Amino acid sequence: MHKRLSLPIALAITLGLAFWSACKKSDFQNAELSDHQAEFAFPLFTTELILKNLLFNLVNDSLSSDTIFMNPDNTMTLFYSGDVAEKPASDIFKFLDGTLPILMTDTVIQNPIQSPDGVTIRVADILAGRILMYIKNSTPDTIHGYFEIPQLSQSGVIFQHPFVVAPGLFYLSDTISLIGYHLESSNNTLTFKYFAYGPNNVRLKVPDFPVAVTSGLKFSYVEGYWGFQWYKLTRDTIEIDINQTELKGDLKIKNPKVTMRISNSWGFPTRGQIKFLSFIGQHDEVIPLTSTGVFEQDSFNYVDFNYPSWLLGEVGQTKYTDITLDASNSNIAEIFNSQPTRLIYEVDGISNAQLDPNLIGFITDKSTIKLQLRVELVLEGSVRNFGAEQTLNLDFSELGSLDSADIENVEFKLVTENGAPISSNVQVYFRDDAQHNIDSLFLGGPVTLIKSAPINSEGIATGITRTEEFIPMSAARFDQIRTAKDALLITSFTTANDGETYVKLLSTDKIVVKMGVIVRKRL
Amino acid sequence: MLKTNLYYKKGLPGCFSRSIWVTSFLLVFLSAPKLSAQQELMLHSLPDIWHSNATNPSFFSANKHFALGLPGVSLVGSQSGNLTYNDIFHKEGDRTIVDFSNALDKMDLQNTVLIEQRIETVSLGLLLPGKIWLQAGHANRVCGSITYPKTLPALIWEGNAPYIGQTVDIAMQAKLSNWNEWSVGFAKDFGKFKLGFRAKFLYGIAALMTDDAHKTATVTTSDDIYQLTLATDYGFHSSSLISSIDTTQYGFDVKFGKYNSKLFSKNKGLALDIGGQYKLNESVTLDFSLLDLGGKIKWKEESNYLISQGSYEYEGGILPGEGIIEGWDSLDLSLKLDTINDIFNFQKKAEEFTTTIPFRLYAGGQYELNKKISFGLSTYFQKSADEKGVLAIGASARWKPLNWCSIGAMYSVNKQSAANLGLHLVLTPGPLQVYFTSDDVLYAFSIKNSSKVNFRAGISLIF
Repeated sequence: MHKRLSLPIALAITLGLAFWSACKKSDFQNAELSDHQAEFAFPLFTTELILKNLLFNLVNDSLSSDTIFMNPDNTMTLFYSGDVAEKPASDIFKFLDGTLPILMTDTVIQNPIQSPDGVTIRVADILAGRILMYIKNSTPDTIHGYFEIPQLSQSGVIFQHPFVVAPGLFYLSDTISLIGYHLESSNNTLTFKYFAYGPNNVRLKVPDFPVAVTSGLKFSYVEGYWGFQWYKLTRDTIEIDINQTELKGDLKIKNPKVTMRISNSWGFPTRGQIKFLSFIGQHDEVIPLTSTGVFEQDSFNYVDFNYPSWLLGEVGQTKYTDITLDASNSNIAEIFNSQPTRLIYEVDGISNAQLDPNLIGFITDKSTIKLQLRVELVLEGSVRNFGAEQTLNLDFSELGSLDSADIENVEFKLVTENGAPISSNVQVYFRDDAQHNIDSLFLGGPVTLIKSAPINSEGIATGITRTEEFIPMSAARFDQIRTAKDALLITSFTTANDGETYVKLLSTDKIVVKMGVIVRKRL
Repeated sequence: MLKTNLYYKKGLPGCFSRSIWVTSFLLVFLSAPKLSAQQELMLHSLPDIWHSNATNPSFFSANKHFALGLPGVSLVGSQSGNLTYNDIFHKEGDRTIVDFSNALDKMDLQNTVLIEQRIETVSLGLLLPGKIWLQAGHANRVCGSITYPKTLPALIWEGNAPYIGQTVDIAMQAKLSNWNEWSVGFAKDFGKFKLGFRAKFLYGIAALMTDDAHKTATVTTSDDIYQLTLATDYGFHSSSLISSIDTTQYGFDVKFGKYNSKLFSKNKGLALDIGGQYKLNESVTLDFSLLDLGGKIKWKEESNYLISQGSYEYEGGILPGEGIIEGWDSLDLSLKLDTINDIFNFQKKAEEFTTTIPFRLYAGGQYELNKKISFGLSTYFQKSADEKGVLAIGASARWKPLNWCSIGAMYSVNKQSAANLGLHLVLTPGPLQVYFTSDDVLYAFSIKNSSKVNFRAGISLIF
């Protein structure tokens, strides 16, 4: 019996052990993923380059924000303006501004008005100023009387100032305000009189000369004869920054203009004499801006500025004179093809250049003559291989956290979506401390990363052109590039149709640049 | 200064952590070999084996007085397609290497792992006067299914680059429950008819149940510059299994709950078994049973609902154009890939939930040709609350060459296969019962090389 049971029991135990061993779970106590390759794709960055911003940067950073003007149709006009040359009326009114003592050597003296050369004043309104009167009595009797300036009146009352002086003493008036006095002189002189009387009202001539002292005289209106007078108005330089960048190549701007605006509220004719008007080229050569039918000419080109007329009662008005030099009347288009870097101009002013002896004119205290030149470039043109170089500082130090040991290679994908009518070739050189090239981004040379958007007959971009560039890179190469200290970015721009077509750059034109990467990694 | 910051963590494939995948797949594949029987037709065809009582509470030996069920384990698991354990795991020394290189080709677009395990630790049967059998026992059960898209393991294994321009599904659906089952019951022999009842008191250990109303999670890799779009509307209930998912860093740090296989818990439920057996004549016996009637567990311990909802597109760094144009000193190109995880940002709230246990039905009959040879017919039907029912039918033959030994075979048909060959071996030396059964013997002995597993084995003493 015992023997009979041993076999089935042994079989049963064997079966049980086999079953339990099959169920053990120790297989998973040290589970690990096997080495394998995986590819992970993820985006790196996206950026949007607005053409307006690009141009702002392209020109001088110091330019004010209104240098680029957005036109209603989104075209952009780039303005380069010179300083405003201003000849204010205060330059004229300085003639009696200081302290002027007048010695009355007789009871009546004629004192010429110290007006500018060539100017004869016949009417003036005093805006500010004072006068002092002095008289000494060296007679044994008390004297009395008054001073008088017959050309000065206020509300029709001639200027008079009384005095009474005891023997041996003198009289010094308080400062007498001349504000509001009206001056009328037929011969550009002022008459100073004093009337001194003795005890019997006998008019005297005092032994010591009385004195009148004017100071701080300012006029609100001066009228008179304005003779020939020459003066320097302005000499200035306008920097054409767009041609002063690192950009190199062939830039053509369609229909560049130089405009000159003179605003004039001086009430007499002034001639602007163009002493110098020339662009300076890329190699500092002088390129005169010549024109036909714009300026009059004698020994110099000149233009007579419009002015408010005394005869027509235009006191207080401002008259404008606009002069435009463009491709239709000058050589400016040709000049801009050579990318001039600056415009230098010099203008002098001449009053009554025609020497009219009967010319009556005026100025007010607010009269000015202003002149401003500006270069006006509607951003419509074409470029071919218009190149630039820019150094980008790189710091890959933080890539230390990137364990590239398991990276087999990477493939960057650079995408551009261009809504501007301009193409761009790009190459990037990675450089070491000594600025020696370590590697370049594109092994086969520069790549057209940005392709011009399609344009219509007006040269306006009508769509978006997308480009994709795949940049494979081995791990070893990537590691080497990580040591770079800077990158030299070399770009060249060409407008649509290989630069053969003029295009319009709109403020809304933009270029989207974005990059993703596929990393192939051992895991 | 142009700065380029790339953040990688060794071993982590970019924005996707292997940890989630390891966790997910180990959860599936570690479990599969341990799980047992959806379909146990072969055991059902052996009503004289004490453990067959699990398939019908009226099954007991008429001429025995006491039964002590020692451990019995049944395992049934299946993986859709032809994927096997060895396709994914292999040994290198004492390490188990997980390798999906070969597995991915064998996966379907959607893959399902069905898992069911029953470990009967101990059971007792006692014949009382009046031909009444009392019975009591304990079992530990795991039941559930996991459905996952092929793109889930593929994405982590191959990376997302192969899926540029595509939206891939990464949402895994799971219904898993593990519980202790305490049972008491009785059976009455009415002569030709036996009737048995059993009440099962369920104490849940752990559960994971994804929410059918929130079950989407996708990753889209744009074909532009590979912008990543993650969209989730994904929620699940968990009790004592996953307590939180930290997505603040790369990948997913899954915090597991206190998985404590204690015998009793606050996660309570109840199920009923009813079975009958009718002896038509000396040769033919019919049987019928309904198992796990009304079975459900209400989960209270460490019961949480976690949900991730949102959509996030990672476009890389946004560099201001003015900065590039004007040559700012510092352009930050940092790759904040870790922020991608923020979209998953699982929100947790304590919430009780209820799981149901699949209802099972057995019906069959035995024809005893003589003392050594018998034939049987078995039918099995299983129905989960929210799934279609599963039917299996088998015809078996049994031979007892010796009094203490029987062997048999079964041909069965089920949804997965129309040709399943089952075997059994039963050794009954004295009071000892040792048995091994399988409804599909081809998958009983080569667990690691097959996509299915089906076997049961156990020991008991019966006097």
